[in-house]
Order: sequence, then C-alpha cells, then structure tokens
Amino acid sequence: MLKTINNLKALHSTYLSTRNLQQSKTKWDLLTAVCVERKPIVTPALTELEQTFHKYLSEKEFELSLKSDHELQHEAELKQQSLLKKGDVDLDATTKQTAQDFLDACTEELAQFKFADRLTDADRSNNLKVISRKLDKHLVLLTKQKLGKDNIFLLPQGVRQDGETLRQCAERVLKESCGSDMKTKFYGNAPCGFYKYTYPKSVQEETDSVGAKVFIYFARHCAGEPKDTDCKWLDRQELQKELNPKYLDSVAAFLIDEK
Amino acid sequence: MISIISSFSRLSLLPLPCRTSKLLFHTSPCLAGEPLKKKKRLDPAIIKAREDRKKRKIEKQIRRLEKNARQLKPIEECEIPLVLLDNQKERVRQPFKYSKGVLETRELLEKQWAKYKHEEHLADIQLVDRIMYAQQKAVDELRKESEELYLEAVQIEPMLLPLKIEGPSDTPSIHNYYAPDGDYQDVSRKWN
Repeated sequence: MLKTINNLKALHSTYLSTRNLQQSKTKWDLLTAVCVERKPIVTPALTELEQTFHKYLSEKEFELSLKSDHELQHEAELKQQSLLKKGDVDLDATTKQTAQDFLDACTEELAQFKFADRLTDADRSNNLKVISRKLDKHLVLLTKQKLGKDNIFLLPQGVRQDGETLRQCAERVLKESCGSDMKTKFYGNAPCGFYKYTYPKSVQEETDSVGAKVFIYFARHCAGEPKDTDCKWLDRQELQKELNPKYLDSVAAFLIDEK
Repeated sequence: MISIISSFSRLSLLPLPCRTSKLLFHTSPCLAGEPLKKKKRLDPAIIKAREDRKKRKIEKQIRRLEKNARQLKPIEECEIPLVLLDNQKERVRQPFKYSKGVLETRELLEKQWAKYKHEEHLADIQLVDRIMYAQQKAVDELRKESEELYLEAVQIEPMLLPLKIEGPSDTPSIHNYYAPDGDYQDVSRKWN
C-alpha cells in the first residue's frame, strides 16, 4: 500500500516537473472564443416516416375514442332531418345553430387566420447577416476577424488579459465584438471546446509564443442582434463550407447534430 | 411619603410610553390634546340585534362545517361526470374492420418506427458522450496551462438556474399579435 502511494507521489512529481519544463520551454497565448448559437424557433419538417406514423397514430386514436358531444348532436340532427323529410314531425322553430353550422363556422375562422410564414424575408434574399433566417435550424454566429494578414470569419475570439477568468474574458470578447444589445446566456463557467494552433515562424520569433490555445465557450442567444460587425449566422452545413476543417472539428465536437 | 409618590404619579411625571421617546424628550400631553368627542348613544335594542346577527352568522358557518365534516372535498377533475356515465353506450363507435393487408402494413410501420426511435436514441447517447468528451478535453487543456484558471472554470454557475426556454413551435409567433381571450363563467362549487 505504502509502496503504491510512494510510486504515485514519484509519478506526480515527475509529471509536475515535466509540466514546468514544458511551460518554461514553450509559451502559448490563451484565447477565448464564444460560440453563440441561436436555437431553432420552429420545429423542423417531419421526415416521411414521421409523417406516416403521425397519420397512423391519429387514426388509431380516433378508433379508440368515444363520440363527443358535438358528434352526438350532429347525429341527432341528421336523424331529425330525415324525419322531417318524411313529414313525421311538424316544423318547430329550429333557428338555433346546428352542429354542422358550428363546424362550418370554425373551419371558416381557421381558414381566415393567417399563420406566420416559416420562411422569412432573410431566407428569400439569402441574407446571412440577420438572425431571422432558417428558423428551423441551429445557427452559429461568426464574425470577421483579422488573423495574420487575412480577414476570415471565425467565432468571436480574443486574448485573455491578466486578472481575468476565462469566463469573464469570454463575456468581454462577446461584448466588444457584438455590442451590448445582444443578450446571451452562457452555459456554465467551463469552456466547451478547445482548439490549438501554432503561429508561423516569423510571428513566433516576434511574440516568443509558439501559438494560441483557444478555449471555446458556449452561449445561447436570447435576444437582440450583433451591432457594427461583419457577421454571419450559419447553419451546420454552411459552417462546414466556411470554416477550415481542423477548426471545424473542434467546433462541431460540442454542437448538437442536425438531421 | 407614599401619598406624595401617589400624587406624583397622578401628575404623570412617570414616563408613559406614548409620551416619551427613547431619547427622553418629554412631550407635553397638552400638545396632543383635542376636544373630547361626544359619545354616541346607541339604542340597546339595535346593539343586541347586531350581536345576534353576528352570532347567527357564526352559528350558520359552524353548522355548515359540521355537515361537511366527514365529507372530503371532491376532486372534480378526477371524477367522471354522471352525464357521461349515463350515455356511455351511445358514445361507443362502430368497430373498425380492416383488411389483412392494412393490418400488416400497420404492424410493419410500428416495427419501423421502433427501429427508427432506437437509432435516434443511440445517436443521442453518442452525441452526449461526444459533447462531454469535448468539454473534458477543453478543461484538461486548461488545467495544463493554469491551475488557477482551471479552478475558476470548474466552479458551479448559480445564475444558470432557473432556466426558462420557449419553443420551438410549429409556426413562428406573429409580431404584435393580440390573442383574443374568450369569456368564461366560473361554475366551480364553493367549499369552505
């Protein structure tokens, strides 16, 4: 028992020393990025199987149900009408609304009501910048950023400053890049994803750090739109085209799949 | 001696709670004075009638409570209305008759559905595993960089709960839509 503890201690100390060595040898910049996701607002379209099964279930439910008051009333009225035709019953005042009338009125009201369109103006004009697009999809916010010489679209990111926790840094980065109008909800204090890249040789010598370690936080979009930035709201497939494959792997690792 | 003290107390030199503050400022009772109100004299018959009415009201309540003492308040939502029990037979539908083919396709559909849901469930489990792994990896990498930041990151976030989420719905909500509310009549019985 004691032996194993000693062994563990030894292991731990070697681990610590190698860690210190590594730290002294190579310095990494710590960056945080924020993955702001807009959740779907409308339900996705049903697949073929889902549709047929839905139909089957409603049929089954109808079969197992008992007749409602409305149906009973309707049947009674039909019976009365057939009697009237035969002339068995004399005409008494039947000005009240029949079940059929009620049904017709309801169908008319439903037909007149205009539901909001599942496709929005942004979908029709293929505007990537506004949030009200692709209502049935998860959308991720990318902003244009200068990385080395070129501008590319990435998750909003920034370097951690001294004295900040990563979470505070993430909130600051988001505020700086998107303004304070956009309301989000961060999912916890811990980062959800990780990405690491090395700088080119020239930059390495300049900054004497090997590269950057990006800790990605996940935030759910609540309200508002980003301000004064060149941004894009992209669904999963569009993300695949936009991001570089390695970066995409780290981002997609913590995102929910879409059918 | 005693008589002197008693005369002093009558002069109200002893601090009365309403006339002195805690700082021992004495306010003169004269300042709070006002002309006496003339006491209304009520007819004793009216007073008696009033008291009787009160008594009767309470008695009535007691009687009502005693009547319902053994009886528990019914949960109306959980009881089948008698009307429905009466005409239950009228409400039964004609049994549906389907050909063998239809029944078989239905059976097949159910099996297909079970398989579909099973696959979906497996995919969900894998998804959760993948997301948890990604987070664990991120946290581990953070620990390698700085123990302090790691400890900050694994703190519980108290602001996250309660979390309220709406949607998704079948169609998006209409902007500035006023939902007309129907009238209703409260017909529930009173129990007290």
